[in-house]
This record gives sequence, structure tokens and C-alpha cells, in this order.
Amino acid sequence: MSEGRFWALLLLFPSLLVITAVVLYPTATGFLLSVQELRLNRPQLGNDWVGLRHYADMVSDPVFWTSLKNTAVWVTASVIIELFLGLTAALALNRGLPGTRAFAVLILVPMFLPNIVAGHMWALMLDPRLGVVNDILMRLNLIDGYKAWFADPSTAMGAAIAVEAWHSFPFFTLLLLAGLKGIPEDLYKAAAIDGAGALAQLRLITLPQLRTVIAAAVILRVIGLVNSPDLLLVLTNGGPGRSTQVLSLYAFQTAYKDFDFGYAGALSVVMFALLMVFAWAYVALLRVDRD
Amino acid sequence: MSLRLNTPATRLWDAAAYLVMGTLSLLCVAPIVWTFLTSIKHEADIISPVLHYIPPSVTWENYAKLWTQSGYPVLVLNSLVVTTLTVAICLLAGTPAAYAVSRTRFRGRRALMLGYLVVRMFPAVLMIVPLFVVMRGLGLLDTRAGLAVAYTSFLLPLFIWMLKGFFDAAPPELEAAARVDGATRGGAMVRIVLPIARNGLLATAVFVGIGAWNEFLFALMLTTSQGSRTWPVGLQLMVGEFQLPWGMLAAGGIISILPVVVLFALVQRAMVTGIAAGAVKG
Repeated sequence: MSEGRFWALLLLFPSLLVITAVVLYPTATGFLLSVQELRLNRPQLGNDWVGLRHYADMVSDPVFWTSLKNTAVWVTASVIIELFLGLTAALALNRGLPGTRAFAVLILVPMFLPNIVAGHMWALMLDPRLGVVNDILMRLNLIDGYKAWFADPSTAMGAAIAVEAWHSFPFFTLLLLAGLKGIPEDLYKAAAIDGAGALAQLRLITLPQLRTVIAAAVILRVIGLVNSPDLLLVLTNGGPGRSTQVLSLYAFQTAYKDFDFGYAGALSVVMFALLMVFAWAYVALLRVDRD
Repeated sequence: MSLRLNTPATRLWDAAAYLVMGTLSLLCVAPIVWTFLTSIKHEADIISPVLHYIPPSVTWENYAKLWTQSGYPVLVLNSLVVTTLTVAICLLAGTPAAYAVSRTRFRGRRALMLGYLVVRMFPAVLMIVPLFVVMRGLGLLDTRAGLAVAYTSFLLPLFIWMLKGFFDAAPPELEAAARVDGATRGGAMVRIVLPIARNGLLATAVFVGIGAWNEFLFALMLTTSQGSRTWPVGLQLMVGEFQLPWGMLAAGGIISILPVVVLFALVQRAMVTGIAAGAVKG
């Protein structure tokens, strides 16, 4: 072993030890749980191997299919809105106008706020009786009566997506702004000489040059949206009915409320598999790994 | 775009940019302002049928009630301990790792960094359930140390990715010079690279600290008693304990995000560079 390799291993050792203990071991155990029976509240059922039974149960579980469908809506709509708002903000901030730094700080603040506080802030503002959003929309004549946004199955998902977009579009702004700074100035000069207007420059230079950054941001955000039930837990807890029930929330409730760790493990494994397939397909389709 | 021709088109786009920046910053900050205004209103003014945009009279009773009746000081103290422990573990285990992947070339280096990224795809519930079982066995369940260790599962990989970006930006020539002058590898790292990357190290530590301070799901599942419960869990449990405690919830929210907003404002430039570099280069 060369001296450099020994030195690298020595430096890496503490982090590898921690990662193995708190990530690899629990995750491997989690995969094993998904083929076991483990119900904390019903120990008489034992702790047997059940093979793929949890997965078979999932196929005939209507809540699973509803959650899968809702997850698709939740993730797709949120990412599209966040990408659009994030790109718009980044383009505006990138013009380097006076006052930009102050605007940038204000626009980035939401992404550092805890889910739990973001959720309660908006729950208060969207409250059917006390909510300021209803009041403003009434004054603008956009609605003709106070709405119970989170109690109505037809508006609950939309309202939750709006809150999520508010909370996380700054993440796209941050990454895309960094990406914009990396685009060579000469490209724009050449395009301007060729007579390309602002919109043509956006389509022909900015968006293609940002492709890798957009891909990275989308993948990271999709991971967060699929895996984290926090915001929906605060806002709707999956209701009304099951109109905002997503997979991560279902897995969490299965573990935390029903103490059915085996089935919760199987649901999580499915989420992980979906994410892996998505990330792989997305990278392959965009061919971003060649850049 | 530094090509600043003062054409009508440029002025039009500049105006549009101000409109976008103004609208979005208002949208981003308004909920925080509204929460603050709610937190200084009397309960009667919050639930009154006519909405008061400006509090008719200012009161700090929500803050007083939160501090004296809900055990909030203990929750905040627990969060502080957990956050400090998490940052300490990340600094101790993550700094050498980030240095190694930035400065040394070894087989499997790319795969290792990719592995640190894949780790983020593991659903929290998939890890929490086995962690729950393991920690119960070790007696770490419902302890602040146990929670801090659990937090490193998603914060240590982030820490390493971000810090590696800052180390990459520090010129390696200075270390080479120091080693020629007789410094050991360890000496060069501690005395040359760490001081250069000081701002990056601070920003990374703050970023990880905010992550630990804000975390909710792990805390909900891995703590059960007042002795180790953190503020996000306490705040959420208040919803069931009191009838629609909007004033207290708003006060709790404001107190809890205060350190986050202050720290972000202090190190935002380095932090923004670091987060972007970590994700863009990844």
C-alpha cells in the first residue's frame, strides 16, 4: 500500500465508521425487515420471515395505490412550479442590478426554515376562519366566500403544493444562480452580435448550458419530496380522506401509529427503488453524465 | 450579463427583473412577518371575526406563556445540545474525510463520493425503524446523544460534500510549499488548509447545524420524554395539548427561527457558494 493510499484511508476511517453504523447497517436491516413480521404492538405474531408477503399485500392494498398516485402528483407539480419560480428568480437576480444582494437574502430565507414552522405559518394563514389568505382573496374578489383549503378534498393537495413551492423554490434559485454565473460571457456577446434577442438567448444559450445544474437540482429535490413527509404531516396528515396521502407519510404512519415495522419497511424499499429508477432514467435520458 | 447597453429592451428587462425580485421577496417574507404579527396579538384579536392586519394592541403574553407553561426552555436546551453534538461529530469525522477526497487520489474515490450521494436516497423511515431497534438495544433511545448520532446519517454526507468543495477551492501549492519546508501531511492540513478554508468550514458547520436544529421526523420517533425531546416535536405536540394555540405556536415559531435567520444572514455568502458548489459539481 502506498503512503498516499494509507493516509487517505486513515482520514476516511472515522466517517466510514459512522456511515456504516448509522446508515448502511440500519438500511440493510430495513431491507431485511421488509421480509419479516415485526409488529411492536402484537408480539404474539412473532418475528418470522414472511418472504415477499408484505410486497404481495401492497399490490392488493388500495391505500398503497392511492398514495402512489398522490406521490406522483405531489412530486411532479411541486418540482415543475419550483423549477419555474426558481429559474425566474435566478434570471432576475443574475442581472446584477443595484439591490440584488438584499433581494437574494430575502428570497433564499424560506429554504432554511424548518418544515414544522413553515407548515404552521401557512396553516394559520390558510385557516378557514382566521386565515389572512381568504381575507385577501375576498378583498380582491377572487373568491366569493371563505374557503377551508385543507378540509376540502378538491383543494387540499393544491394548497399543500403551494406551501411546498413557497418553501423550496429558493433551493432551485440558489443552484441555478450558481449555474448562471458559470456560463461564459462570450456566448452572450456572440449571440447579441448575431442579433439574438433576450428570449432567443435564453432558449439557445442559457437553458442548454444549465442542463446539468437543472438535472442535479431536480434529482435532489425529487429525493426530498419523495422521502420527507414532514410538511404534509403538519398540514393535512394525509386527509381529508386520503386526498393528500403520499407514500412517505403512509410508511411513517404504518411504523409510528400501527407499529407495523415490516410493512413500513417494505413501503420504504419501494420508495427507494422508485427513486433509483427515476434518477437512473432521468440521467440516461438527458445524457447529463457525459458532460 | 455585463454587456450593459442602455437600450430600451435592456431597460424593459431590468424593470421586469425588479418586478420579479420585488414580488418574490415579498412573497417569501410575508408569512414570517404575519407570524410575528400574530405572535404579538392578544388571543382575542387573533380569533376576532374581523381580521386585524396591524395588532390593535401589542402584547408579549404569548412569549411569556410559551416560556413558562409549555416547557419550551427545556425543549430549546435539548435542541441546542443535540445540534452541538451533531456539528461536533460532523467536524471530527467529516473534516478529515473531506480533506482526503479533495487532496488525495485513490481508487474508488469517485464511487465513494457517489455513494455519499446515494445514501441520501434512503427513505428516512427505512433508517429510523432499524435505528429505533438498535438504539433501544444500546440504551440510546430517547437520549440526546442518540438523536445526534442519528442525525449524522443524513448530515455527515452533506457536510463532506460541501466541505470538499471549499477544500477544492484552496490552492494546493501552499501545502506543497509547507511540506517542502518540512511540515508533515497532518501539519500542512491543520496549519495551512484549515485556516484558508476557515469561512467554508464555518458555513458548512452552520448549514449542518441548521439541519439538526430544524429536524422533526427523527426526533419525533426517537425521543419519547421531556428529557430529550427537541423543540420541533414539542411545538407539534402543543397542537394536541391546547385548543388551537395560534399565539403560542406563532411565538414558538418566531423564537425557533430567530437563530436560523441570524446565522444564515451572517454566513450567507459562503454558505450559498458551498451549497451550490456541492450540488453543481456533484
